[in-house]
Amino acid sequence: MAYGVTQQMIDTFGEIVFKLSLNKQIRRGDPVRKLDFSAIEATREESGLTDKEIAERIGLLPEQVSVVRVFTERKHHKIDQHRRLYHLGGGKRWKKEAYRSPAERLQFREDAMMIRKAIKFLPELAARYIEKGYWINETLNGHLINYAHITPDALAIIHPEGELSYKHLKDSVDELTNGLMKIGLTKGDVVAVQLPNTLEFIISYFAITAFGGVMQTIHMPYRDADIKFLLTHSKARAVICLPAFKDFNTAKVMLSLKEKSDTLDHIITIGEVSPKGTKAFESLKITGTPKIDNPPVGSDPFLLLYTSGTTSNPKGVPLTYQNMIGNARLSVPEFHMTPADRNISAAPFSHLYGLYNFHVALCAGAANILLPVFTPPDLAKTIEKTKATTVFLGPPHAASMINAGLLDNHDFSSVRFSMFSGSTCPPSILKTYRDKISNHSDGTRIGQLWGMTETAGATFCRDDGPKDLALKSAGPAAPGNEIRIVSAENDEVISANTEGELQVRGSSVFPGYLNNSEANADAFTVDGWFKTGDIAIIDEFGNLTITGRTKDVISRGGVKFNPADIEDLIVSHPNVEQAAIVPMPDPILGEKACCFITLIDNMTMTLEDLCNLLDSKKIAKNKWPERLVIIDEMPLTPTRKIIKSKLIEKL
Amino acid sequence: MANEKSNLEGLRKACEAYVKKKGALAFGLANIETLERTAPEGSRPSDMLPKVKSVISIGVGGGTRGSWSADAKTLAYIGDTETMAYRIAYGLAFYIEAKFGYRAIFVPPDMDPEKGARVPMQSLKLHAEVAGIGARSMAGDILLHPEYGMMYYASVFTEMKMPPDQPMADNPCPHPSCVQLYRKSGQTPCMRFCPVECLSGSIGDDDQVEEMHYDAHACAEMSQQYEAIPSILLDTLDAKDPIERGMALHGPENQVIWYKLSVGAGELLSLCYECMRVCPITQTAPMANPVARGAGMRQKIVEAEAAARTEHAIEQDSHKEN
Ligand code: SF4
Ligand code: SF4
Repeated sequence: MAYGVTQQMIDTFGEIVFKLSLNKQIRRGDPVRKLDFSAIEATREESGLTDKEIAERIGLLPEQVSVVRVFTERKHHKIDQHRRLYHLGGGKRWKKEAYRSPAERLQFREDAMMIRKAIKFLPELAARYIEKGYWINETLNGHLINYAHITPDALAIIHPEGELSYKHLKDSVDELTNGLMKIGLTKGDVVAVQLPNTLEFIISYFAITAFGGVMQTIHMPYRDADIKFLLTHSKARAVICLPAFKDFNTAKVMLSLKEKSDTLDHIITIGEVSPKGTKAFESLKITGTPKIDNPPVGSDPFLLLYTSGTTSNPKGVPLTYQNMIGNARLSVPEFHMTPADRNISAAPFSHLYGLYNFHVALCAGAANILLPVFTPPDLAKTIEKTKATTVFLGPPHAASMINAGLLDNHDFSSVRFSMFSGSTCPPSILKTYRDKISNHSDGTRIGQLWGMTETAGATFCRDDGPKDLALKSAGPAAPGNEIRIVSAENDEVISANTEGELQVRGSSVFPGYLNNSEANADAFTVDGWFKTGDIAIIDEFGNLTITGRTKDVISRGGVKFNPADIEDLIVSHPNVEQAAIVPMPDPILGEKACCFITLIDNMTMTLEDLCNLLDSKKIAKNKWPERLVIIDEMPLTPTRKIIKSKLIEKL
Repeated sequence: MANEKSNLEGLRKACEAYVKKKGALAFGLANIETLERTAPEGSRPSDMLPKVKSVISIGVGGGTRGSWSADAKTLAYIGDTETMAYRIAYGLAFYIEAKFGYRAIFVPPDMDPEKGARVPMQSLKLHAEVAGIGARSMAGDILLHPEYGMMYYASVFTEMKMPPDQPMADNPCPHPSCVQLYRKSGQTPCMRFCPVECLSGSIGDDDQVEEMHYDAHACAEMSQQYEAIPSILLDTLDAKDPIERGMALHGPENQVIWYKLSVGAGELLSLCYECMRVCPITQTAPMANPVARGAGMRQKIVEAEAAARTEHAIEQDSHKEN
């Protein structure tokens, strides 16, 4: 240690040395100018001493004083003070209240950095997307602010209880933004939302992202076990949910998760009054324009969606504004969407598809019609009542309306196009829908859109394609995207009209899974193509048709889930030897789960037993098998893996 | 005796004429006994030049009018004209030696790290104050002059004896308008607009500064980025990850420091001078305006040179007489 100085000496004498040095100066009167030598002497100490003088004063060696001093100066030294000066441009004078240092303004909590760390694009692709204008500096709230400014009175939202103009929507969003910021949420914080397609969902979505937060969606059917995994994985700081939903005491479950969580701080429940321990959504609202020091920008992540994926746990998909909002903005001209449109989504906003079409209408300055919970009559009635012009739905939605005869007794004449997505699209359903809706609206068109959580709207049909193309194809790649088919055997690109594995690359494709190096390792090719795991054909015009899946996911009414964890649970039953869940076709939902089991000698098992087991394990109902087939022997590969395709053949 | 006096006056006038011709605004001679008594041990003129007989202080004007109107960042880069003062003083030292044959040195304006925090080798401020070309202000003792406002100072020590000047009889700070503001708000303009609030103090019933408190460390943090270099290096060592480490060394502001060091441009930020931007003395001193000053200067140079010529003539005459 230099000159016998210890840390203790620095701690003990640091402040007094700092004070006695020329770091702090006091002058009383004007002694030098007045040549008042006695005053100069009397105030010498206050006007700042040399190290030697300080040493004599406090009983250290001068060299020791200098060591103590420089360490204390270092402790006091703030290196970014000059930024205060940089902030004083154009003749501005210093005002303390008008300044916050970048370190204060641009706060990123450690957990918030977790998502940013998951975002990694190939630099050459990013450069291309920026140069081509696919990626610009746009945000969700940027579009809202824009329309609230240029068309303040235009309808933004039509919901069951009324309507909201862009200006009023912005005002409502401002109120909640203020409230969320007041409870300490900051940029990059994850806020999970488990809500139906309600006005509260929309206001929450804008408010969370207004201050730079990231919205995580939780599907409505999800229960304890799923929610626990999702909130833990995302490190969500807050949840916005209903106090209860059907038989599910949402608030109670969320509160118990909060108890055990290090990261979850706030449970916000919809309504004026809140269950004990939660905050009432309405009570958070504070009028006024929020002061956002660290506003979101185009490259920021703002959405965290979870895919059921092919592993037993869902995978977190962070999406940036440039991915998602860029995808929607580029889709607007393709759909000829204008501010005059009224758009309705039958899909829940907790899914990519629902959000995608909400974004498209927002980017166009059109109105979004909210359908809180899908039922066939509600969808039909709402389309009729609100005079929806564009409808985004899935084949199950259409099939159920057709089966209930709703397309025959409702007025659909306002609908100019309907876009299908979300699960396999049986041409017969699409054709019947188109034929029936054409009775009301002559030139109406239908289209197919194909996308995954990882790709956003990757391909979709355009107006200028052949008339019947939409019955069998999801059209060409969306602007900014590319699609190709590769051989499963050798990864080589396959020529047109040959089946193979679908790969997607483009500006809407996600940057990688959140904290999932195993999944990321196999998700992309070295040159940035995402391996979708779907089997497809691309025709000579670039139109995509999905023909199957390489993965085992089951897509029940568009909600995909991997059955692996359910199979594990079933096998844990003492009567069961082996279990395998496969999709079985369903005219309404597209697919349902069918469970094949082999039993331990002389044991029995019914579908009811199986459902009771899953219920006791708090598994979401939509994942329960809806048929049970008991077989004597499982078809197995030589390495004893179940050959599911053989089971599917038995159906 | 009379001759000796006029001889000494003549030397002084020649020196004054020289510096003014080179662009200085103010010229003064500090009383050496006062300095020896006032400066701390080790920082007295005789500690530097043992046979010093005269301490010359010169002042050059601050930035152009434009620099005061520029944005604060630009002002911080261009506002100081200290190197101009140093150049003139350096020239003066050579001039004295060449012309009059006395030893002279340009007084280094640097800090003396051996002596402590912000302790200069010699206080140029003290020289100027005792020489009567500036008085300490409420703004951290920045010297102000009623005619020239804020100046940059440089000093020359010489073994040539010249008659000293007196400190200024009156201190222009605080300006009457500052007293008024102080009475209303408890703050003078310089206190109020200092971005790091490093100034405070009080004005007495006599409208003079009663107390002036200056946090020199905070003031330096604001603009003297070279002080940040050791901190930057320590931050680099302490950095948690490569991005933090890279930013510590390559962050845009920090890069400027390396740039300046590598090109040897001595113009690191000196002070931010927001206090002077709002100081009525600096902003309204009649000769602080370089446009007015230009006109006045020419006149002053003509006068100084004429006076020097007269003195020289007298000197020559007296030699002849002898
Ligand atoms: S130079 Fe700047 S920081 Fe220093 S006292 Fe003046 S206004 Fe304050
Ligand atoms: S603004 Fe100038 S004159 Fe007024 S108190 Fe400050 S330094 Fe003195």
